[in-house]
Amino acid sequence: MSHVTSPTPIIAMKDIVKSYMMGEVEVLATRGISLSVQKGEFVAIMGMSGSGKSTLMNIIGCLDVPTSGHYRLDGVNIRHLDDRALSQIRNKKIGFVFQGFNLISRMAAIQNVELPMAYAGVRTKERRKRALAALNMVGLGDRLDHFSSELSGGQQQRVAIARAMCTNPALILADEPTGNLDSRSSAELMTLFSGLHDQGRTIVMITHEPDIAEYASRVVILRDGAIVSDKPQSSSRAVSYELEMSGAPLLGQVRAQD
Amino acid sequence: MSAIFGNFFMAVRGIGSNWLRTFLTMLGVLIGVASVIVLLAIGTGSSQSIEKSIQSLGSNTLTVFSGSRSGSSSGTQIRNSTLNIASVTALSSSVNDPDVKSVSPVVTTSLSATYDGTSYTTSVIGSTSSYLTAENYTVSAGRSISHSDVVNHAQVIDIGSSVASALFATGSDPLGKQVQLGSSDFTIVGLLASKGSSGLSNEDAVVIAPYTAVQDQLTGESQSFSELLVQGKSSSTLSLAESEVESTLASLNDTTVSSLPFTVIDSASLLTAATSSSKTFTALLGWMAAVSLLVGAIGVMNIMLVTVTERTREIGIRKAIGARKVIILTQFLIESMVISFLGGICGVFAGILVSRFKIDGVKPVLASYSIPLALGVAISVGIVAGFYPAYRAASLRPIDALRYE
Repeated sequence: MSHVTSPTPIIAMKDIVKSYMMGEVEVLATRGISLSVQKGEFVAIMGMSGSGKSTLMNIIGCLDVPTSGHYRLDGVNIRHLDDRALSQIRNKKIGFVFQGFNLISRMAAIQNVELPMAYAGVRTKERRKRALAALNMVGLGDRLDHFSSELSGGQQQRVAIARAMCTNPALILADEPTGNLDSRSSAELMTLFSGLHDQGRTIVMITHEPDIAEYASRVVILRDGAIVSDKPQSSSRAVSYELEMSGAPLLGQVRAQD
Repeated sequence: MSAIFGNFFMAVRGIGSNWLRTFLTMLGVLIGVASVIVLLAIGTGSSQSIEKSIQSLGSNTLTVFSGSRSGSSSGTQIRNSTLNIASVTALSSSVNDPDVKSVSPVVTTSLSATYDGTSYTTSVIGSTSSYLTAENYTVSAGRSISHSDVVNHAQVIDIGSSVASALFATGSDPLGKQVQLGSSDFTIVGLLASKGSSGLSNEDAVVIAPYTAVQDQLTGESQSFSELLVQGKSSSTLSLAESEVESTLASLNDTTVSSLPFTVIDSASLLTAATSSSKTFTALLGWMAAVSLLVGAIGVMNIMLVTVTERTREIGIRKAIGARKVIILTQFLIESMVISFLGGICGVFAGILVSRFKIDGVKPVLASYSIPLALGVAISVGIVAGFYPAYRAASLRPIDALRYE
């Protein structure tokens, strides 16, 4: 790694292999990925579908465990952890932002934001205070009691960010956060992520859109389950070039496919 | 603790989100619980009415009938196999039968009683004054038939309250009036207090006269009795009295107890037999109710499985943001418990309501144990029927659940 190493990286992965059995055939989703993310970094993980980026995201998010390799999240070795311990890690150390927003539709915005704190055992009053602060921060202070059916896609995703933020996690993990948004909402959302990055938050974002990846401080490109490029962000041109080399379609073509 | 509490509200919200389906599921539990309460009330009500009617026969009494218990003995072996005054005298002896309090000969017939053009069909019992005591009759006005009435073949009667109200206008005094029974006139000397309706037969539709007068005027010249009513000294010595009666009658008729041409029936044994058969009846009704509760339980389980499938994605989200297995498990368990508990509460009210009405001639009597029983079963139904779906929800892997469309 060419990066400055600080005492404990947020993500420390070594030789992560994940294999699935497809009938009789063993399929390698990741073939020995090693990745280190320091506190305060904003990393975009890119790649085509089938490149292993979803598998990597599930492992980073402690939703899945690797077949072999070592993974430490904020200093905690997540191998050999049981369901209960993994739940706690997800609750305390990770804030998820999903492509499909994944709010619970039967609950109002503020209740959605309060939910992870409820699971963490935060008291009701404190929970409400922190949820209010988080929703104000994402600019939805006036939409507290709206249900997700009453919110636009961009607004729903901002509720999801408030939900991810309020437990003060070590890592914000975003899986195609702009995948279901129009370009204007995408830009607003990415401004929000940039703001969080400026505040010193650690963000890992999976995306296949080069113009979204431009907001990151570092871009990792996957291909066939392995890292083919890992560079600090300099310009959009650089990203496009790397993508072209990895076989990913160019910016305009991606948009056309959507 | 607060997590469980929050879970409770979450569960209630989950239920409210599809209230029609929840209501229909609750209806299954409601009907089950209500039928447990109603059917047990019917069972209790009918067994109480049977017990009451048997108790009104008199509790410490034995009834002696002509005819062998087995029914197989042929008449040739039996001399003198009728119940007559000699049997009464023999049984009344305190030497042979120390546990017998009284022996009342009984002659019965059914006749039309007429007064002033009004007729009423009633059973006429010819006996002695001890019959009234043994049968728990009390005289509310006038006097009971006496020993001298029996000796004198007096045509006097005590009438039951149903007979009195059928023949006489309210307010008029039946005492001293002449009532025509068959072709003879009898004078009313006493009114019997009502024993109340006991379901099986009307104990108040009765006329009691000295047996001598009944034999003279109504049943012909036969000197035999249809039965003897023997009152024991206490219920605890009734079985002793029974064997004394049997051996006395055996020696009187030169035969053995086993080939006695009479049948002695103990009212307590009738009560025991009737109680056990009504218990069987109640248990049967209980089982029927249990089956309908089971159907309700299957309904709850079915709906919970559907709910879990429908909300797979929600479960995935909850797990991804840190819900432990036990949280998901309790959320769905609480949901199914709330459904079955609400259904149970409504079922208790429905059951109490239906039990107020007479069903098929039986006045249901709420069994005090049936309400906690039905509610307890309803909640257990919620736990048992909810557990498998809840466990399935809790065991979903978050990545699979999140991917579920």
